[in-house]
Amino acid sequence: MSRSVWKGPFVDAYVLKKAEAARESGRNEVIKIWSRRSTILPQFVGLTFGVYNGQKHIPVNVTEDMIGQKFGEYSPTRTYYGHAADKKAKRK
Amino acid sequence: MSDLICVGAISGAYGVRGEVRLKSFTAEPEAIADYSPLSSEDGAQSFTVTIIRPIKGGFAARLGGIATKEQADALRGTRLFARRDQLPSLPDDEFYHADLIGLQVFDTGGHELGRVKSVQNHGAGDLLEIHGPGLKSTVLLPFTRDAVPTVDLTAGRIVADPPDGLFPE
Repeated sequence: MSRSVWKGPFVDAYVLKKAEAARESGRNEVIKIWSRRSTILPQFVGLTFGVYNGQKHIPVNVTEDMIGQKFGEYSPTRTYYGHAADKKAKRK
Repeated sequence: MSDLICVGAISGAYGVRGEVRLKSFTAEPEAIADYSPLSSEDGAQSFTVTIIRPIKGGFAARLGGIATKEQADALRGTRLFARRDQLPSLPDDEFYHADLIGLQVFDTGGHELGRVKSVQNHGAGDLLEIHGPGLKSTVLLPFTRDAVPTVDLTAGRIVADPPDGLFPE
């Protein structure tokens, strides 16, 4: 069963506080969070969070298309390297 | 930067007519045939690759010069390599993982941070995994223009301006 709409999206309070503080400071920093269950809100767009995967903090640059998803979706807890072959990386 | 890039492997014979089971490591699995002819790691053998059909775990393929099941069986475990110059050139700000892996990473002050171990993407943009002296574990650096202002493939170096808190002080 999905979450009731009247409750609004779930976000741990400390994530909101840290995001607000980072936005006010204007510094280029990674906001370390452990809350994988928190929903990504519109006010997080443009910030970089370090989302804990049980071992280390994975940097997640929040963009508009991530809104509504959970932070944990972008920080996998298992590592698979695979082969580089002809795979490409784009610098944004 | 290595001259040969592993793009696939032969996992055994397929059927009794000299076809092989081919595992593809390329971004688009069917693209492995575009890099034909492929060579073995030591360069002693070279094969043209014709994909016949997709099968579970890869492709059924016919290799040039392989006509019997015994020959196909003998190739089991052989990794297939393409030359780096067979890969098409890319636009600005796009790089092959194979080119980035192994580059030295320096900060804007010229201090060495480490080397690129791998390139990962978990859905929130590409990340460079950096392993270096003085780091207890690897560090993931967002592959953005802000965090990585310079990528110099000819000199084999990257200049990074990592966000605060990413690298230990």
